[in-house]
Amino acid sequence: MIAYKFLQAGAVGPFTGFRWPVGEWVEAAGVDPCLQGVHACRVRDLPFWLGRELWEIELAGAVVEQNRKLVAERGRLTQRIEAWDEGVAQEFGRFCARRTRRRVGFLPVLSGFVADVERFGAQRRIAIAGFAAARAAELRDGPAAYEEERRAQAAWLAERLGLGDGGADNARA
Amino acid sequence: MEEQLLSREDTRLVEGLRAGDEAAFKELMRLYGPAMLRVARMYVSSRAVAEDVVQDAWVGVLRGIGRFEGRSSLKTWLFRIVANTAKTRGMREARSIPFSALAGEDEAAVDPDRFLGADERFPGHWAVPPEGRVLAAEALDVIERAIERLPPAQRTVITLRDIQGLSAEEVRNALDLTETNQRVLLHRARSKVRSALEEYMR
Amino acid sequence: MRLDRELACQEVVELVTAYLDHALSPADRERFEEHLVFCDGCSTYLDQMRETIAATGRVQLEALPPGLEARLLEAFRGWRTA
Repeated sequence: MIAYKFLQAGAVGPFTGFRWPVGEWVEAAGVDPCLQGVHACRVRDLPFWLGRELWEIELAGAVVEQNRKLVAERGRLTQRIEAWDEGVAQEFGRFCARRTRRRVGFLPVLSGFVADVERFGAQRRIAIAGFAAARAAELRDGPAAYEEERRAQAAWLAERLGLGDGGADNARA
Repeated sequence: MEEQLLSREDTRLVEGLRAGDEAAFKELMRLYGPAMLRVARMYVSSRAVAEDVVQDAWVGVLRGIGRFEGRSSLKTWLFRIVANTAKTRGMREARSIPFSALAGEDEAAVDPDRFLGADERFPGHWAVPPEGRVLAAEALDVIERAIERLPPAQRTVITLRDIQGLSAEEVRNALDLTETNQRVLLHRARSKVRSALEEYMR
Repeated sequence: MRLDRELACQEVVELVTAYLDHALSPADRERFEEHLVFCDGCSTYLDQMRETIAATGRVQLEALPPGLEARLLEAFRGWRTA
């Protein structure tokens, strides 16, 4: 199955430091015996794992669905999603800021989140911009709103980056 | 995995000791002597008593070396003898040592002032985040001093784990600690050493 | 260890040792790593902890007090000739 993976510059795993080869199958045990498998994102998981490079990854063998990711026995980077770059990341930040402004911009106390999200975006700290937007939503409207905000973020990413099956996947989420 | 536990180096040392080879004795003392003293110190009230414990434990080591089968690593076996000797001695001084006494005060890994309060938009997040690296060539004595200042049990566990390179399981077996207790001691010790380095780098 | 969905930094720093020992449950490990994605402070903290551990590994323990080592050697000599 096809999924996605954020990596650091040079296709390096953010938690393992493992340098991913492109196009070659990687077995979980080869990466780190203590890891339970190759980690990858469904579309709905993307906002949680934002990183410098976005890759499409093919998974094989047993695939386990966790709360925020997939874990597979084997994976193979198929192609870099070039559409994800600094510019689009900034757009994403602005998207989060707009939504935050609409949701809490007029409220006392919570309106502080608007400046937070804008500041994070300006600092190019996009992952925390997304987190702050979801947190603001949760504080106003409860835990379901946190999930809703994250789904909106995932949908934006899927559409903006032309990722396959984004709509269907999000509908299931 | 079981059969690999006794390394070549361990095997050489054990054979050397059994043969009465003084070079093996010296090497063993160089490699493990200081840590043996630290293990002893964890259970007794003074350095002087800890030295006595090591002496007593050493007799036990010599008595047992002929029978040592290598089912655990040499380190684990040595430290376990020292720990057991120390505990027996320690129990003559006090009835028993509850973990809470061994572990030291319940302290946070990082000063709570470094985090935002409950009424902030991001409660519990960094108010003053850590920055940069803690590494410097001359920092080794900062680390040594920080370790010296630790309560004995924390000092012993960080010595065995991070200086001597024992695994979590080896330390648990040597000191007869639960996995959780071993980790709590290590966690507190490492947190203090990191803080000392951060302070030094400022 | 049961954790809320959101980990705050103050909780993350208490989990670092367990994380490095691969002792967190898969769910806790996921929350921990999820937090690191957006939190520079905690990423730095984890790096600093790794550096601390590596540096500690280079500490050379002070040798045994000579008096003690001499007594141990004497016991060794006594034992081997027995």
